[in-house]
Amino acid sequence: MRRTLFLLLVIGSGNFLLAQKPSETNGKVVFDKWCAPCHGAVAPKNVMFGTGALAGTSALAVKYKGKLPAVLEQRTDLTSVMIKSVVRHGLFGMPITRKTEVSDAELEDVVAYLTRNRKK
Amino acid sequence: MVLPPNVSQADFNAALNEFRSAVEPSWVFSSDEDVALYRDSYSINWGEPDERVASAAVAPAKVEEVQQIVRTANRYRIPLYPISTGRNLTYGGSAPNMRGSVVVDLKRMNRVLEVDEKRAFALVEPGVSYFDLYHYIRERNLKVMLDVPDPGWGSPMGNSLDHGAGYTMAAFRDHFGAHCGMEVVTPDGELIRTGMGAVPNADSWQDFHYGAGPNVDGLFAQSNFGIVTKMGFWLMPMPEAFLTGTVTAPRHQDLEALVYEVSYLEDLGLTGMPQYGSPVGRGAFGPGAAAMASLMQNGWPSAEAIENFVTAQKRPAWSVQLYFYGPEETVRATWQAAKRRIGKAIAGATFQDGEFMTLPIPKENEPTQSDKPRLGIPALEVFNMVARNQGNANDPSDGHADLFVTIPRKASALFEAARVLYETYKELGMPAQGNPFPTPFTYYSRCFWTGTTVPTWRDPEKNARSRAIFEKVINRCAEHGWVGYRTSPAFQDLLISKYSFNNHALLRFQEKLKDSIDPNGIISPGRYGIWPASMRKNRA
Repeated sequence: MRRTLFLLLVIGSGNFLLAQKPSETNGKVVFDKWCAPCHGAVAPKNVMFGTGALAGTSALAVKYKGKLPAVLEQRTDLTSVMIKSVVRHGLFGMPITRKTEVSDAELEDVVAYLTRNRKK
Repeated sequence: MVLPPNVSQADFNAALNEFRSAVEPSWVFSSDEDVALYRDSYSINWGEPDERVASAAVAPAKVEEVQQIVRTANRYRIPLYPISTGRNLTYGGSAPNMRGSVVVDLKRMNRVLEVDEKRAFALVEPGVSYFDLYHYIRERNLKVMLDVPDPGWGSPMGNSLDHGAGYTMAAFRDHFGAHCGMEVVTPDGELIRTGMGAVPNADSWQDFHYGAGPNVDGLFAQSNFGIVTKMGFWLMPMPEAFLTGTVTAPRHQDLEALVYEVSYLEDLGLTGMPQYGSPVGRGAFGPGAAAMASLMQNGWPSAEAIENFVTAQKRPAWSVQLYFYGPEETVRATWQAAKRRIGKAIAGATFQDGEFMTLPIPKENEPTQSDKPRLGIPALEVFNMVARNQGNANDPSDGHADLFVTIPRKASALFEAARVLYETYKELGMPAQGNPFPTPFTYYSRCFWTGTTVPTWRDPEKNARSRAIFEKVINRCAEHGWVGYRTSPAFQDLLISKYSFNNHALLRFQEKLKDSIDPNGIISPGRYGIWPASMRKNRA
């Protein structure tokens, strides 16, 4: 009984800690599912209605003209506020993402992933 | 906060509380911040009083929860607006048709219930995206191919219910036409299944779509007669091989024969969606731009001037790419037959062998695979067309609205439509749009679509200009019998008003159904012009 209680406490605290600390690993999973189709690094040479490049990556390349990486995963300047704002409000052709698609916890994970290399 | 029309704050609060009992409270969204996530990112009314914003959203995970939500909505007369993945951008996105509706967000109903590779069908819930279904099939190495629209984050169910289409063979790229069996929560909270799903012990729900008696499935597409909670789809068996070939035709007048020959292949089920092009027309954006401007300088040119222009350009007037799916022996033989027939019909036609590959392509090749939807691979690469680019670097739009009108599948209709669109833009004082080398969309194999796209913005002044263009094009095309097959909520009343045979008898029939099936008018009021009696405007 005491052993069961101990295990429950350990498991419970583990979940508690997991819930509190965003996961870069899961952030990568969420990024690959929801962000990479437009913001990934690898693109085909040709796409049906234009030249090869993913919409988000090519848009950022035009915007930053080489001053910042066009691939989000290579950025070192992204902030939590910036990422959450764009995901929840959309920006130009990028639409709003709802909580039934990417939950607040998952968004924290994406933030952890995209800010992992942030310059302090 | 926005309230539904004619609903008191007290009743609205009571309804929200009942929704919180039906689903976990955290899945009822009523704060301004959360409800704003249901705005249409591509709205052409963004920030204006008539922007179609929600009053709240509720996200059920089970069909029983949907039924409870519908019963509550009836008690308090709350208008509901169901969305599947909510990514129907340019056609409303995740926002409701009517301001103040409660969005029923079905994204959490995201189970792939079955994929049978031998009988080649899938049964899915509304929140399953094309990406989800593709990964399910690929992870299990099932030998079936999806037919996908350009945006892979859409839902097979939602896309088909809005008459969306893809790229492979005609039988599959008509997504509603390829469905087999539905489960629907009707406006009184009842649950029905269509086709063989109505037979309790039948194991053929996804094998035969009619069952017996009236087939009612069409009532649940582009409409407001129920909330679809399951839907079956016929899938294409994974072809062994894929082959492309490109045909060119030299003269402008050759399009008529080319359309006939390509349609012959289509109607026999021998090619996937043909991609028409115009090497000369494309020159309008490249090295031939000055020559094209010269051709158009005095308005729409004569047939003789057009042919002289083509000759001087030393490029073919037309191209069409064909796509063959099947065993290697048959795709190669079909391409040979296409060459023989078209070569005989069009003097000077040329043929270029394209890509050949065996299917499915290796997983590691997917990221760099061009034109993924042609191979049933979902992607979002189409958004490259509207994203910030060199042409709009300093002022990219926030979205777009599309109008594709249906015209007969013949060259003369295509030319006439191109000329009318050109003149309509001129009348608006806009830069000229189009030239005598239009290419049709052939998503539906039996007709052509042509039309226009306008940008949408988070700027009311710019949106007002886009709306003016859009309305003018709808009205002008309708004068010729060319009317759209879908549009964003802002224009659905106008669009439906064009389907006016016998004093709008079709819409009046739909309204009679609405009054009978949904007397409280709780499901998607106004969707495709069908309003509940209490909100129906007097029709001229």
